[in-house]
Amino acid sequence: MEALFDLAPEFWQAAGETLYMVALTMVFGGAGGFLLGTGLYATRAGGLLPNAGAYNVLNVLINFFRPIPFIIFIAAVQPLTRAVIGTGIGTNAAIFALSLAAAFAIGRIVEQNLLTVRPGVIEAARSMGAGPWRILRTVVVPEALGPLILGYTFIVVAVIDMTAMAGFIGGGGLGYFAQLYGYRQFEPVVTWAAVLLIVVFVQVVQYAGNWLARTVLRR
Amino acid sequence: MALVSLANVTKSYPSPDRKGPPLVAVDDVSLDIEAGEVTGIIGYSGAGKSTLVRLVNALEPATSGSIRIDGREITGLAERELRDIRLGIGMIFQQFNLFDAKTVRANVAYPLKVAGWSKAAIAERVDELLDFVGLADKARSHPDQLSGGQKQRVGIARALATRPAILLADEATSALDPETTHEVLTLLKRVNEEHGVTMIVITHEMDVIQSIATRVAVMDGGRVIEHGPVFDVFSDPRHPSSQKFVGTVVKGIPSAAELAVLRERHEGRIVTFSFRDGDASQARVFVELAEAGLEFELVYGGINDVRGRAFGHLTLAIRGADAAVDAALATIGTHATVTEAS
Repeated sequence: MEALFDLAPEFWQAAGETLYMVALTMVFGGAGGFLLGTGLYATRAGGLLPNAGAYNVLNVLINFFRPIPFIIFIAAVQPLTRAVIGTGIGTNAAIFALSLAAAFAIGRIVEQNLLTVRPGVIEAARSMGAGPWRILRTVVVPEALGPLILGYTFIVVAVIDMTAMAGFIGGGGLGYFAQLYGYRQFEPVVTWAAVLLIVVFVQVVQYAGNWLARTVLRR
Repeated sequence: MALVSLANVTKSYPSPDRKGPPLVAVDDVSLDIEAGEVTGIIGYSGAGKSTLVRLVNALEPATSGSIRIDGREITGLAERELRDIRLGIGMIFQQFNLFDAKTVRANVAYPLKVAGWSKAAIAERVDELLDFVGLADKARSHPDQLSGGQKQRVGIARALATRPAILLADEATSALDPETTHEVLTLLKRVNEEHGVTMIVITHEMDVIQSIATRVAVMDGGRVIEHGPVFDVFSDPRHPSSQKFVGTVVKGIPSAAELAVLRERHEGRIVTFSFRDGDASQARVFVELAEAGLEFELVYGGINDVRGRAFGHLTLAIRGADAAVDAALATIGTHATVTEAS
């Protein structure tokens, strides 16, 4: 217990790093994933902008990267991280790898949620003379907003999980904190403090996501 | 000139496994629809009704043939040009297809936004439309707060927003109960009569045809096998397939199973007499049977009313000497249609 009090500054710093990584990952990965998923949805056969070439490229890309375990992905992507961020280590380097990995996962989730929009609604919009881009923007996305919010909530929780591995390239965060000060120093209390805080984060995110989705769906 | 004119229109889809012959949904259809008419399209499911209607607003491109809307050929037009055509053709659906994420007001405003109307003009038009369909108090509601009939009224308001000359209805009342169906049909009738909107109405319900259609086209296997005024097609269908279909929706024609039951319950020969409109032959049938000294009873029947003109079918069980019955039927056959159950 005493060890934990001594480590309070490091603990709160690690918590801050985790929140920072999750937030920026959701911004960049969230946007990238949204574009990927919308692209997949629109270009599929029978979609709004069918394009077999584009669909196959996106599909293969996602299927290639998504199954790579993040701890391996973070190392494998390091050359690209260096080229883009300027360094292969640190919190920002971790955010780059996190965003990339999250984008592929989010892409699939966005695609699946957009597919829940009833084809009849799209047909109705077409019958009113709306074009494909307008339908995507003003019909498909708004109609799928509730499930999309729940999908993003699911991903935030997964990203919190992934940030625990950021310590591997010096990204810091609660995962690294628990490893360094808890596990290696034989201080289970320190480890459990990190666990508890992560659980609190996840609960808050899930609650907020559910509330937002409910508000959007008005149910 | 017809407002909608289809000439030799075919729509086929590649077979699902890409090996077999293409699936022909609409097969060489030629059909003219005059402005102001309400044309009912009837037929069994899979007959190609929905596809045919979707060719008219080019939601589906025709494989071959010519489709003219108000004289303008629409086959071969680019998607962008087709969008302008669609602004002049409203459509309503069996499942309403309202935007659940938008309010009633935003649903009705949507086609106007697409058409590029100003905000003020949209607001005014939406108020007018919601008044017309009697849902002014539901403007801020979302579709999931409405009943089925209210949803379809929103669908109608939305479809009419841009003042289209043509309204397509794909089984628009099939998901509604009889009372709500009546309500929606009354509204559609007003749309046609007060605003002169030409309608093409897919349905399998006799009620719909009887209350709003002026003409009817019967589809079977992708073809239009019969097309004419509702009264003619329903009182005297020519094509065997339309006879079969009409028999299922018109009151008074016993089915094969019902005939078997009738024969079991009643002695004598089971004969159906069909009557059309003003001819006094119904009374004459009874007089002639009585004069021939035959005993008969009414075992099945019904009279249908199509816009003030009646037609019907009466099935009698007739008892008497065979020769006398034959002679009487021959006489009656000169002024009424006689069908003896074999």
